[in-house]
Amino acid sequence: MKEELFVSGRNIPNIDPYLNIWHWEIPVYLFLGGLAAGIMFFAGYFTIMRKEKEMQATVKYAPFLVPFALVLGLFALFLDLKHQLYFWRLYTTVRLESPMSWGAWTLMFVTPLSMLWVASYMKEVFPKWDWKFNILNQFEALAIKYRKAMAWALMFLAVVLGVYTGILLSAFNARPLWNTSILGPLFLVSGMSTGLAAIIWMSKSKYERKVLSRIDLIFIGVELFLIIHMFMGFMAASEVQIEAAQLFLGGEFTVVFWVFIIILGLIFPATLEVLELRGFHIPIWIPSLLILIGGLLLRFVMVEAGQITRYLY
Amino acid sequence: MNTETDIKKKPNYLNPYFGGVLLGLLLLATFFIAGRGLSASGAVKLSLVTVVNKIAPEHAANNTYYSKFIPEDGSSIMFNWLVFGAIGTFFGGMLSGVLYGRMGKLRVEHSPKISKRTRIIAAAIGGLLFGMGSQFGRGCSSGAALSGTAALSFGGLLVMAFMFGIGYVVAYFVRKLWI
Amino acid sequence: MGPLIPNEIITGQWDFVIALLIGGAFGFILEASGFSSSRNIAGVFYGYNFVVLRVFFTGMIVAMVGLLYFSYMGWINIDLVFVLPTYLNSMLLGGFIMGLGFVIGGFCPGTSYTAAAIGKIDGIVFAGSTLVGIFLFAELFPLFEGFYYANNLGNITIGEMFGLSNEVIVFVFVVIAIVAFYVTWLIEKRVRKNMTEYKFE
Repeated sequence: MKEELFVSGRNIPNIDPYLNIWHWEIPVYLFLGGLAAGIMFFAGYFTIMRKEKEMQATVKYAPFLVPFALVLGLFALFLDLKHQLYFWRLYTTVRLESPMSWGAWTLMFVTPLSMLWVASYMKEVFPKWDWKFNILNQFEALAIKYRKAMAWALMFLAVVLGVYTGILLSAFNARPLWNTSILGPLFLVSGMSTGLAAIIWMSKSKYERKVLSRIDLIFIGVELFLIIHMFMGFMAASEVQIEAAQLFLGGEFTVVFWVFIIILGLIFPATLEVLELRGFHIPIWIPSLLILIGGLLLRFVMVEAGQITRYLY
Repeated sequence: MNTETDIKKKPNYLNPYFGGVLLGLLLLATFFIAGRGLSASGAVKLSLVTVVNKIAPEHAANNTYYSKFIPEDGSSIMFNWLVFGAIGTFFGGMLSGVLYGRMGKLRVEHSPKISKRTRIIAAAIGGLLFGMGSQFGRGCSSGAALSGTAALSFGGLLVMAFMFGIGYVVAYFVRKLWI
Repeated sequence: MGPLIPNEIITGQWDFVIALLIGGAFGFILEASGFSSSRNIAGVFYGYNFVVLRVFFTGMIVAMVGLLYFSYMGWINIDLVFVLPTYLNSMLLGGFIMGLGFVIGGFCPGTSYTAAAIGKIDGIVFAGSTLVGIFLFAELFPLFEGFYYANNLGNITIGEMFGLSNEVIVFVFVVIAIVAFYVTWLIEKRVRKNMTEYKFE
């Protein structure tokens, strides 16, 4: 028989049993932001390396996902706001000390830039596309002319977007699980990996898949390294951090984390990709889907577990 | 007629005795670690209970069979040894299929003497029967027969003997499906 | 001192991670031995492919002998190993229905997952219909609840049932296995000579 003693009769939503106000909207946005960052980074990189012809899906087709991902992500953020009618106030100020301000302004630049990028390739992907207004045609010509510059800007902004999603969490010094500076690079690498997985899924050329799979393997390896060292950092820190890490080492998040994120989301797809590079035949959607799901779950788990950890009572 | 010329490509299977030894060692390791064997049908049962519990909790609580598997403290039903074993079986099979080149497009495997539809219907009926039977027998072939008999339980031996015995009897009547 | 989880040597949710890895090895071995093909599995009933018997029996005797040795050496506490409870009537019926299902469907749940994993639609269908079958059972459960629990002989082992010690039982099993291997080898050679269209998959 189990007896439970309630010391307090309090049951305030969002505050009991632990203070949590960030629900599904934030992890969804973090995932979509990372995905968009990954795709944009490689679109820009391969354009600068003048490899547009060999890497068609990376440069032309996959960036079509980016505006949708960003708009959906921003919409999720909008849903999470308490005073939704005043969202525009984020854009009336620039606060260098606030990750949210950085994020808002980065997205403000990245979203139109990615749309311009997509627009410049519109006629190549949809041959019958007609802008209908002369000024749009001129815009398109301008975009095509300055593709190199856009590529540089995209790469830079993609890295900022990827890293800031992690810094957004690590700026909370009241949450021991989040307050580690390794979260920024971790989310960046994870975003790149999910972006690569999405591009590989869309790609039709064997050469492109080969190149991207190799890069993806490196990023998965780095991600595993960062995760392990993140836990090493927790176990070597103060008692609250050790408790936070215990959530993943025997606590309630152990299974989801190790089974779905690490084994099925990173190690198994990496094994499949290695086998694919060695010549074994694998339907390409399997590792890509597993990596994408793993990335989404990583963010869900980090947001949820982070809000359980705290310094006081 | 020579059988050899009709086998298009010899498949790459492990020697069955070697596979059996590996399986036995794995089973031994499972007993050593968890004190129980593997069972695939248990995972399906637990997923079903989870789904029913989500959709119609009162019905699940009233039904004496579902309610046996719903823990009172509200912890997740799916967090159970059997479910993760089944997930692992799926992905382990996938890895082996990849390594041996058996991974391919969606296909139906059937005897050349019957049509695809017949095979699918047979698989559906077989699955239905097996699902029901596994609950009566407290396990499927891996759970009751393999692990049960390895742990020397009488029930396991009974289920295994009956399963294969009846299989042989009925095999004559459904031979059109296979040969 | 095993078994590790009931003895709390491995705690928390790690046991599920281990379950995944063990399941992975299980699926791998099954698929590599050829259990992902329903025609291979049904072969045991018709004599053209005895892989089921070979793998099953070998696995069983290895595990049995291993458990005996471990228990003898003190590495495992045999009382904590799960022994199936024997419900006589229900298990007889269960074996009967499962036998029907086995020979018609050609899979068992574990092997159907491996078949589904490599893209066999009949494996996917089989796995799905086991779900429906269990659902039917649960819905109709009140009808045969009495039958389900009838005749409970408890968690008895084969040794207790027949009054012989565990070691003798295992020995008998090993002897039966060796005889079975030899006999089936002869049968398979005979049957394969007459079969002409058997193509492996």
